[in-house]
Amino acid sequence: KPSLVAKCIDEQEIRSLSAEIESLKNPQSLSPSQRLDELRDENTKLKYRLNILKRSLQGGRTADCCKSMTNINQRLQEVFGEAIRAACPELDDPPVSVAANQQAKFGDYQCNSAMALAQMLKAQGVKINPREIAEKIIQNLADNDLVQKTEIAGPGFINIQLKRPFVSKLLSKLLINGVQPPPLDSRKRVVVDFSSPNIAKEMHVGHLRSTIIGESMSRLFEFLGYDVVRLNHVGDWGTQFGMLIAHLQDKFPDYLTSSPPISDLQAFYKESKKRFDEEEDFKKRAYQCVVRLQSKEPNFIKAWNLICDVSRREFQKVYDCLDIKIVERGESYYQDMMTKVVKEFDERGQCLDEGRKIVFVPGQPIPLTIVKSDGGYTYDTSDLAALHQRIFVEKADMIIYVTDSGQATHFQVVFAAARMIGWYNPQVTRVEHAGFGVVLGEDKKKFKTRSGETVRLMDLLEEGLKRSMDKLKEKERDKVLTPEELTKAQRSVAFGCIKYADLSHNRINDYVFSFDKMLDDRGNTAAYLLYAFTRIRSIARLANIGKATLRKAAETSEVLLDHEKEWKLGKCILRFPEILQKILDDLLLHTLSDYLYELATTFTEFYDNCYCVEKDRQTGEVVKVNMWRMLLCEATAAIMAKCFDILGINPVGRM
Amino acid sequence: MADTLTLFTSIGLSEQKAKETLKNEALSSALKDAIIQARRTCGASGVDKAIGTLLYSMASRLKDPKRLAFLSDGIVQCKICTELQLAAALEFVKSHPQDPINQGEFDEACGVGVAITPEQIEEAVESLIKKHKEQLLKERYHFNMGLLMGEARSALKWADGKVVKNEVDLQVLHLLGPKTEADLEKKVKVARVHLFKRKRSPAKQSLMEQLRGEALKFHKPGENYKTEGYVVTPNTMDLLKKHMELTGGQIRSRFPPEPNGILHIGHAKAINFNFGFAKANNGICFLRYDDTNPEKEEEKYFTAIRDMVEWLGYEPFAVTHASDNFQQLYDLAVDLVRRGHAFVCHQKGEELKGHNAPPSPWRDRPAEESLVLFDRMKKGLFAEGEATLRMKMVMEDGKLDPVAYRIKYTPHHRTGDEWCIYPTYDYTHCLCDSIENITHSLCTKEFQARRSSYFWLCNALDVYCPVQWEYGRLNLTYTVVSKRKIIKLVETGVVRDWDDPRLFTLTALRRRGFPPEAINNFCARVGVTVSQTTTEPHLLEACVRDVLNDTAPRAMAVLQPLRVTIANLPEGSKSDVRVPDFPANEAKGSHAVPFSSTIFIEQSDFREVMEKGYKRLTPDQPVGLRHAGYVISFQKVIKDAQGKVVELEVTCCSSETAEKPKAFIHWVSQPLTCEVRLYERLFLHKHPEDQSVVPNGFLSDINPDSLHVISGALVDTSVKRAKALDRFQFERVGYFSLDPDSTADKLIFNRTVTLKEDPGKI
Repeated sequence: KPSLVAKCIDEQEIRSLSAEIESLKNPQSLSPSQRLDELRDENTKLKYRLNILKRSLQGGRTADCCKSMTNINQRLQEVFGEAIRAACPELDDPPVSVAANQQAKFGDYQCNSAMALAQMLKAQGVKINPREIAEKIIQNLADNDLVQKTEIAGPGFINIQLKRPFVSKLLSKLLINGVQPPPLDSRKRVVVDFSSPNIAKEMHVGHLRSTIIGESMSRLFEFLGYDVVRLNHVGDWGTQFGMLIAHLQDKFPDYLTSSPPISDLQAFYKESKKRFDEEEDFKKRAYQCVVRLQSKEPNFIKAWNLICDVSRREFQKVYDCLDIKIVERGESYYQDMMTKVVKEFDERGQCLDEGRKIVFVPGQPIPLTIVKSDGGYTYDTSDLAALHQRIFVEKADMIIYVTDSGQATHFQVVFAAARMIGWYNPQVTRVEHAGFGVVLGEDKKKFKTRSGETVRLMDLLEEGLKRSMDKLKEKERDKVLTPEELTKAQRSVAFGCIKYADLSHNRINDYVFSFDKMLDDRGNTAAYLLYAFTRIRSIARLANIGKATLRKAAETSEVLLDHEKEWKLGKCILRFPEILQKILDDLLLHTLSDYLYELATTFTEFYDNCYCVEKDRQTGEVVKVNMWRMLLCEATAAIMAKCFDILGINPVGRM
Repeated sequence: MADTLTLFTSIGLSEQKAKETLKNEALSSALKDAIIQARRTCGASGVDKAIGTLLYSMASRLKDPKRLAFLSDGIVQCKICTELQLAAALEFVKSHPQDPINQGEFDEACGVGVAITPEQIEEAVESLIKKHKEQLLKERYHFNMGLLMGEARSALKWADGKVVKNEVDLQVLHLLGPKTEADLEKKVKVARVHLFKRKRSPAKQSLMEQLRGEALKFHKPGENYKTEGYVVTPNTMDLLKKHMELTGGQIRSRFPPEPNGILHIGHAKAINFNFGFAKANNGICFLRYDDTNPEKEEEKYFTAIRDMVEWLGYEPFAVTHASDNFQQLYDLAVDLVRRGHAFVCHQKGEELKGHNAPPSPWRDRPAEESLVLFDRMKKGLFAEGEATLRMKMVMEDGKLDPVAYRIKYTPHHRTGDEWCIYPTYDYTHCLCDSIENITHSLCTKEFQARRSSYFWLCNALDVYCPVQWEYGRLNLTYTVVSKRKIIKLVETGVVRDWDDPRLFTLTALRRRGFPPEAINNFCARVGVTVSQTTTEPHLLEACVRDVLNDTAPRAMAVLQPLRVTIANLPEGSKSDVRVPDFPANEAKGSHAVPFSSTIFIEQSDFREVMEKGYKRLTPDQPVGLRHAGYVISFQKVIKDAQGKVVELEVTCCSSETAEKPKAFIHWVSQPLTCEVRLYERLFLHKHPEDQSVVPNGFLSDINPDSLHVISGALVDTSVKRAKALDRFQFERVGYFSLDPDSTADKLIFNRTVTLKEDPGKI
């Protein structure tokens, strides 16, 4: 019976198939069906929707409707990118290059792609003059709201003039919404590993650089909307703790019940090191202590913690001065994970066992040693374990190591090993070593005290405070400011200057530490910028214009940009997002300092040429307020404040 | 219940009345509050019948409940003691919706404390009688006593009307004595004439007169709050002030057609009402295309609508589009969501059809969520129908939460591909009115159910709120006007196109030769009443005749020609005949037509066999030729093989010498050949859409004789240079106008209307 049913079904199918064949043979019965029309309609609608979605996506980035700041450069790249693709359909992914112009005569921005395109076309056997390409690009420019005029200059540069209403509107938006980060596709997680001093050792100027740069990077990422994990990868594990604990047991036998008063950990370290080198018994005991600490015997853990705490208190003083937020997660944290990491390399057959276990990474000059011949682990092991934890447990999208450039090779090999074993894909996860040069003294030699010792960080900061006070007194600020204001100004200037001096130089280069230079109130220094900033802030105050008035004006009056200097300043203010974008790409914070300095000088030019407030010469009374210029002051101050914030500099109300 | 009943009877209401009052919840609650308030002031015993009556009257007429206590106090304190004062008091609180009430102004306006003594009344009436004594004695009781009362009232503003009336009656009686027979008889007659006149007079009034000033009971600009049902919010007075500053108090109206079809006769009323109202009151009127639905709009409709408005003689102050405001409307919608008055809903269209649609489960979602979703709607993240924006409001007809925005992946003819969400009529209409600072938003009565949503939305957004006024829609019998149905008629070939002269679209009427003034007069004659009117086409045709009679020059045309040869036309007789353009007024000009021995007359103007009452040409009966100055007499008939009369031979003599013929007929000589199209009603039944009369639908009701084409008609040469749509009266035949299909070689005339309502008469 079942076969009969099956047969029935077969016959039915045959019938319907033959009917279909008939209808295919006879095209007349293929009258345009209603279904076809419906599908056509649907297709039209889907195309329409696609277009809307595409634009929404663009809008999400260019963000006309939301609060975020518009990256003009990026907008221009989009507009010119379209035009370039249309002008050179032969090229697959033609390069788009747009840059802001410093000289007004070359327009506001410039597109320099034509030359590169001509080269690429030449390589394909197409000979074409870059100027012609530039002309084609201009012909293909789509209607847009930001380009006023284009002009071809020289061999094929396209000089771009922006539309004033466009710039003016962006400024109004900035004033109304405040300084908002450019939009972010998704909330990404970033780990910044910085500062990372060693327990029981002093922090020195090398740690200062890492601390300042790492803090500033973290602030930048936070402003951009990232989820930032700031990690202090302190050196809190290793054989040195054996001798320290042994020495502690001898010196403060009752350490378990009453806290030992170690005031100078460095001296304590030196003492124990001396004994370690000289007393064989002590050395033996020290090794035993290491073993017992590693097996986590409570008394030893307690001793270890006591020693760490002393260091932590010292570090915290520095962090408090410099306003650093950081979470300690030292080498000890990764101890148990190291075994697993070694096992993973072993199992994948990536280990070369020659008494010690080493890992060769193709293309890297040196191998990693992940297990020593005595069975102990190395920095290679702990850094691999930390990286593993950060990728898989923290689920970071970006991991930045801020250490001196001397460690560059080490990190390159560690990262390469992690990629080799498939921990991360560099297209998806960004793991980077942000190295920096050494700090030099004014003699261009390694920064040392006069007696040739390393400079203690705390001493340096204290000297900074003293020097800053001297400077303030020299300027007789102590006669104007209240004692409280004076102290605030002192700290702001001292620490601001130290940070800024560091951040205003390309981190990759070595830099010369000079209090005289950093405290100078002329040139690209924090002192100058802080003064400039307080001056801008005071303009509105002196004209008796309150926050509310400015806010109202921002909503109701247009920011006029008719004066050449107004125009220059306006554009400069709006370059902020593209500056941030650039730093995000190369992690070079000096770009931000350079920009801040440029903004301050551009403002000075504007202020010298354009009256913001007109006063009666005799009475000093305010006669006229040019509100749009007050708005420009306000916008400048807002951006400057945000720059200071990212750089970790704390401006004060009066100084 | 019983307590309330006792309470009501305690102020002097009869038990019957008290029970009736109880049935009206709003009234009984107001009355209760009023009585309690009154007792608070003067105790239970203080509220006597007189006060009770006033309280009742006040409670039933007061619109704004927050004034209840104030007016109750006024009544018990005997500040308001007459109906007259109460009326003034109610008027005062209506026009002063804002707190605080200025007591001084109120007292002044309501005559508080003004006491009129009987002596004052007597004196005032006496002087009045004296003033009109002569007339009174002459006309006796035919004298308009209302006039006396009116004058007495204005002289004694706050006096009790009844007392004044009694006094007037008494003094008149004293002067004239009792009514005589004659007084009584004549009075009836006079009254009848009055009645008749009053009935006819509105139709005689011009449209402008009907629309001017206070002829309509519309509010004055800036006094929106005086309109019944208008909602006053704490912002209303400020908004009205700003509105007045912007408009300078000028009346602003708008004609807001959807550009998705051709205008028809019903629209003519809307155009006349809106544009006419503005024009009659020195205001301005916008032509606003309500182009919120991208699917239905076509460019041709835009120009056609504007054409028709201008054809009817109106010039828009500005031509605007609802789509001009898309961005602003969107921003307002975002604000509405933020204010918690709208939400994004995902109910499907099918779920919402019909009455009793289930309430939306998304109604109470947080505003923030709706904001995000609404933004996503705009960005194209939903498919059509997956999300709508709905307003949190119940309409008069019980419809819940009307839709404000819906998704349509369709380009808009003006905004291109910018939007994928489009606002609805309910959302757009009042806001566009508000944006344009319209004072009077006039619409047909179907929209009465949307009045409260109109006010609600403006108030929910704190924007200026215009007043919606409704008027009755104009319907015509023997036709259909809906776009869909006309398309059917065109598709099935019943009519030639949208402007086929048998239709009642405005383009069709223009093509048929209807003068725009006639259409406007028709609208005036129908009147600007609030009630819906269904009118027969002959009323419109009568209006057309009235205009054409004075404006369409005469010509002669023969539709069914019969050749006539005049055997004895005297040598050297005139070859041209002068014909006045308007015989009734020869001063308005004339034209010449040729006259020769061969002429053509209508076949029906000759009969071989005489019939009683037939006054035209027969073998025994001569007939006159209009304008020619001749009378012709039958000589011979020439017939073809079938026996059909094909030609006549006649003799003529001058009409000065001949005996006066019984009739004059029209004729043509050396004529032009033309096509004539005669139209009759398109439908057989009065209501072709009525399924009970026409069960097979309107397409089954077509009058097979609605179009009659005569290709070989003859017309005199005076029409030779006529332009398309030029109108003529073909004497004795009807009014015609030149169809735009005409060419230089071939003239085509449409019959606009017949000469008389019933052309059946011979």
